Amino acid sequence: MNDNNPKIGPEISRRGFLKGAAIAGVSAVIPAEQIATAVETRNESALGGFQAQKRPLGPTGLECSILGMGGFHLGAVADQAEVNNMVAKAIDHGINIFDNAWEFHRGLSEEKLGNALKGKRDNLIVMSAVCTHGPKEVAMRMLDASLTRLQTDHLDVWQIHEVIYRNDPELIYAHDSVLEALTRAKQQGKVRFVGFNGHKHPAILLEMLKRGYAFDVVQMPLNPLDPGFRSFENDVLPVVNRRGIAVLGMKSMGGSGETISKGAFTPTEALSYAMSLPVSSTISGIDSMEVLDQNLAILRDFKPLSADQMQALRDHGKHFNDGRYELYKSTLKYDSDLGRSQHGYPSAAELPL
Amino acid sequence: MPIPLREFGKTGVTISALGLGGHHLGGAKDEKTAIEIVHRALDGGITFYDNAWEYYRGKTESWLGLGLKGRRDEAFIMTKVCTHGRDASLAMQMLEQSLRRLQTDHLDLWQVHGVVFQNDPDLFIRPGGAAEALLKAKQQGKVRFVGFTGHKDPDVHLAMLDTGFPFDSVQMPLNAFDATYCMSFEQKVLPVLNHRGIAPLGMKPISGHGDPVQMGVLTAREALRYAMSLPVACTISGAEELHIIEQNLEIAQNFEPMTPAEMQALRDRCRQYAADGRFEMYKTSLKFDNPEARLVHDYPLDTAQAEVKDMIKEADNTGHAWPQV
Repeated sequence: MNDNNPKIGPEISRRGFLKGAAIAGVSAVIPAEQIATAVETRNESALGGFQAQKRPLGPTGLECSILGMGGFHLGAVADQAEVNNMVAKAIDHGINIFDNAWEFHRGLSEEKLGNALKGKRDNLIVMSAVCTHGPKEVAMRMLDASLTRLQTDHLDVWQIHEVIYRNDPELIYAHDSVLEALTRAKQQGKVRFVGFNGHKHPAILLEMLKRGYAFDVVQMPLNPLDPGFRSFENDVLPVVNRRGIAVLGMKSMGGSGETISKGAFTPTEALSYAMSLPVSSTISGIDSMEVLDQNLAILRDFKPLSADQMQALRDHGKHFNDGRYELYKSTLKYDSDLGRSQHGYPSAAELPL
Repeated sequence: MPIPLREFGKTGVTISALGLGGHHLGGAKDEKTAIEIVHRALDGGITFYDNAWEYYRGKTESWLGLGLKGRRDEAFIMTKVCTHGRDASLAMQMLEQSLRRLQTDHLDLWQVHGVVFQNDPDLFIRPGGAAEALLKAKQQGKVRFVGFTGHKDPDVHLAMLDTGFPFDSVQMPLNAFDATYCMSFEQKVLPVLNHRGIAPLGMKPISGHGDPVQMGVLTAREALRYAMSLPVACTISGAEELHIIEQNLEIAQNFEPMTPAEMQALRDRCRQYAADGRFEMYKTSLKFDNPEARLVHDYPLDTAQAEVKDMIKEADNTGHAWPQV
């Protein structure tokens, strides 16, 4: 494997989802006034000077904004100046947690974020994820590459990326494997806190936790469809909460805005649901200024949903409980080809899909 | 040597340890071949015959009926009802159609087909649901035993069992890949059935379409022997061609159970290939989700999606619910 030259980057098609709210067939499950007092705002001046709410990032002593910026979608923004503007605006509104992964857009996601954070890095929670489930030395080289691209001497959170295969816990906990890199990187002061993420099946994350490593952070898909299908919210979230580990939600809208563009939920419903769960932050994929403004407006007006409101959204989600908008669970579509090749698996294109 | 016979749960009835799958039978090149396959299975000692109301729009049931003509008493006939959540009355109509096609006045086993969606257990047990048809058909003597089948998620199977309905059998994928995957029927469902004395029926012993055999991960003999060595009443395997039934008969007739160590060695060999679910696409994609069942559930067919395209092709489906009973 050539560590700095992934053969194949993620080939996932990510659709824009902002327009979702305007397409025919969208019906708000909960009357808008119960969730947000204002309609979804589209311009900066109307956002006002609000600051994002903060929550403790588990046991770390850090406080993070309840909405975080996802790295994959940010890396999809072509123009560095636009990335800079988006990141600057997010920071202005108190967004302080930025996710990324070594493999996103073959390193461009980290590079763009690194450029955008120039001069602003202090007091932010900068995350990245290591994209091997194998040798410690490979992981350490990936970390050095991430630090270089992100133009920083340390990460605040470093996660093992895409823990999605049944034998990953075994591989990760093996002697001289990536888990030992997490420990060493912490000792060296290159990372402050460590964790893992995975989108496939609750049992795999539970096995990771059961084997006992002292993770600080776990990232998983959390949205109103999840409770009806192979549920992380039901099976994993309580375990992680009980152990005091910080939870980061992801895929609040289905990973590529599927639930929005197909009219299952409004952006306000989807984000409000995710942010109302017992999580530290919800990592949201934001690939344009328009989407940023939308999500900031939702964040500004956010009040945690009541138990009844949450249940109403879950009940509506049951209409879609065949996994068709959670394709990261129900198909191999979201499994990166880099990860597949590292495991010796054929790419998705080579499979009889 | 004859194929070993095994207890069908606690019923006192015995069935052959290898069963003939119904879906592949419908894939035979013509009626004559299908009948020959059935005759060969009968002569070779297979007593258990699988089918479903919806396979190939009824063709497969008709072919099996022709194959078993005059030899009904040598066979334990199973077919499946394809209500996919709809009413008991529809199930009873499907039963009459299945009996006619199979040219018999009773089924030995009638199973609910394709329990794969999260809400299927609720739809099954609801007032007016298929559960009522299963009980009624049994009372009327039209079926001797009842059960359900599904290939998707062990938790859905467990939810079906949690309905408390008195199932005689439960059918599920059982193979050396399932054994170590996170959604493992062998780990999660089989022990429960064994504990309750419900007859477990294994299917997809060669992973549905034989892909891992073609790729050389294991041989058909190893795959079939593994499945048959599990604590199941029957392992159902399909054959579209005569040489496949001959191969399977030979393996079953000379069957010797694998030792626990042999089984573990095969699980270990398959573990790496099992971990991404690539040979269990019935669990890890939407490809094997039956289009009719999706439509009945008001789930859309997204025809732009590769899995759905294939799914529609697999089922030779028009994208419209068919046929009315």
